[in-house]
Amino acid sequence: MPTMTLIQAINAALDEEMKRDERVMLLGEDVGKRGGVFLATEGLQQKYGPDRVMDTPLSEAAIIGAAVGLAAHGMRPVAEIQFADYVFPGIDQLFSQAAKLRYRSGGQFSAPMVVRMPTGGGVKGGHHHSQSPEAHFAHTAGLKVIVVSTPYDAKGLLKAAIRNDDPVVFMEPKRLYRAVKEEVPADDFLLPIGKAAVRREGRDITLVSYGGPMVETLKAAEEMVAAGLDPEVIDLRTVMPWDKETVLASVAKTGRLLMISEAPRTASIASEVTATVSEELFDQLLAPPLRVSGFDTPYPLAQDKLYMPTVTRILAAAKRLLDY
Amino acid sequence: MIQEKVRFQPFSSEPIRLIDEQGRWIAPFEHGLPPDRLQRFYRDMLAARLLDEKLVILIRTGKTSFIAPHAGHEAAQVGIAHALRKGHDWLFPYYRDMGLVLALGVPLVEIFGQTLGNAADPAKGRQMPSHPGSKALNVFTVCSAIASHIPPATGAALSMKLRRTGQVAVCTFGDGATSEGDWHAGINFAAVQQAPAVFVCENNRYAISVNISKQTASENIAIKAQAYGMPGYYVDGLDVLASYFVMQEAIERARAGQGPSLVELVVHRFGAHSSADDDSRYRSREELAAERQQDPLLRYQRFLEQQGLWDARWANELRLEISKALEAALQEALQAGEPDPLEMFDDVYAARPWHLEEQRRLVAEELQS
Ligand SMILES: Cc1ncc(C[n+]2csc(CCOP(=O)(O)OP(=O)(O)O)c2C)c(N)n1
Ligand SMILES: [Mg+2]
Repeated sequence: MPTMTLIQAINAALDEEMKRDERVMLLGEDVGKRGGVFLATEGLQQKYGPDRVMDTPLSEAAIIGAAVGLAAHGMRPVAEIQFADYVFPGIDQLFSQAAKLRYRSGGQFSAPMVVRMPTGGGVKGGHHHSQSPEAHFAHTAGLKVIVVSTPYDAKGLLKAAIRNDDPVVFMEPKRLYRAVKEEVPADDFLLPIGKAAVRREGRDITLVSYGGPMVETLKAAEEMVAAGLDPEVIDLRTVMPWDKETVLASVAKTGRLLMISEAPRTASIASEVTATVSEELFDQLLAPPLRVSGFDTPYPLAQDKLYMPTVTRILAAAKRLLDY
Repeated sequence: MIQEKVRFQPFSSEPIRLIDEQGRWIAPFEHGLPPDRLQRFYRDMLAARLLDEKLVILIRTGKTSFIAPHAGHEAAQVGIAHALRKGHDWLFPYYRDMGLVLALGVPLVEIFGQTLGNAADPAKGRQMPSHPGSKALNVFTVCSAIASHIPPATGAALSMKLRRTGQVAVCTFGDGATSEGDWHAGINFAAVQQAPAVFVCENNRYAISVNISKQTASENIAIKAQAYGMPGYYVDGLDVLASYFVMQEAIERARAGQGPSLVELVVHRFGAHSSADDDSRYRSREELAAERQQDPLLRYQRFLEQQGLWDARWANELRLEISKALEAALQEALQAGEPDPLEMFDDVYAARPWHLEEQRRLVAEELQS
């Protein structure tokens, strides 16, 4: 089995899907010769030509909006938004068109498309290369939202997203693009959208996270294990629809939930998960569910590291839960 | 100053040019500028070039995290800066305008502070390098999101009109920006309201790797103005005096209540898109080498030489003087140190609501322990 970084796994998924189905095409800024600014589409224009790997004008509205029309007409477009922070000029197309097409046509039309985007902070990117806008998408009915954290998941979930019949926002934590390598099968495999992964089984406390902060979450779990504790770690992978069943089963066992995310705290995925657990498991909780999150400020450059959920912050919150 | 006569025709098929490659003045009018002013253009272009070289050193030595080189844009940027009424008119720049804000008078220490993201940055290190701004000089702090500043420039110009302040809003952007919806929305509104704005495209024919042929099917950028009902000027942006005189006419036209214009300054991008880019992936070295032959500084140097206003000794002294000023400002900025981490929670709103107080307290406690 080959070992791959996250960005290589994405490249492989795109390549395989384009080979498998000639309706699959890529469009975005700099995806052609340049291979994308992070090289997700490297080599693909050479292989499939400029009609199937298309450099677009600099307009996210054109990219996402055209993807809606391409998809409605029978193509399987995968749109690349250069950074999640730059999706906003295309938001009207994503929210008003892509998300609601199936509903407003009573199921007659649909937009089976994927919108890929690098997300998250920790790369000294300042305001507009660091944000984690997944809650905006999750809050918009009609979109599925995936945030991956491993090369294996990236390949299996991207392939599944491309074959999915709904618009999927596929978010790739840019700080993980080249951070780790792991074995990823060279052949065709799909992972289920909406299913979390239990990264570690344990009985004392449930740590739930997704995307970039899975790194800090797993590190914190290791330290807890070294200190004689037994945490369970869940990677949501899909944040809309998120895997309630897996999270509830885990918290029912441990009685304690710590939700970790680098997105701003208020009205976040973390808020949603902790609220749901409070509603449904109130009488089985040993402590109130807690959140470790990003702050409710724009993402600052100078405090790039401070903004992120650190291992220290995760451990402090876990201690509060365990000492409750 | 009210514009006495109209010198330039919009929608020309060839770029407006006043100085040719050999440095000869080829315009049908006298420039009428005094020698010290002519030399000042050169000085500002040289300072812009040397700043660019300094920024490249800062990125190579790991002292900063990002730069967007402006080499090749100097004539355009200095032309714009000289046409504005400094500190009176407003500038809405974009990230490749470090040479422009320098020529406009943003202090070097602030420029380096912003580049270092440290306490010398008036914006408190909040944004990536190449995102300057200055309340004192009416420079609207740069936003990375391409073309997002066009409608705000229209709004400011509208306020200038409604409040009769005699100011003009000048808004710069790249060729790629003209594809964004916000670009069209802002320009259309400005024309409808005859707002005193000048929209300026620094057209280097690339948006990162994407050539202009994939950006627009229009003959040029200036021609787009026709559809919105404003004049569009197609200008050789490697010619500092063409850039200056056209900008000046457009600005004074706007100031006189005759509405907005679009000015396209055709330039070269000598560097990669940014320090995060490798342009050899998409642009041939031959193309780049040919462009470098058309250095805007060299063309203007030839012009000055023919006027008896340039010699190597003077230029060397100038270079030395600017380099010293750059180094001194850099050293001063380096001394400033890191910004206070708790400043992260300031300026989200005019006053901190309870939730930001809570979050700030958490970090303050963490920093103490
Ligand atoms: C809305 C938005 N989309 C994408 C980007 C990423 N991006 C940064 S610069 C750039 C190219 C801009 O090209 P152009 O407007 O020609 O200006 P130049 O850099 O050539 O001066 C792109 C796509 C962005 N900053 N904002
Ligand atoms: Mg450009």
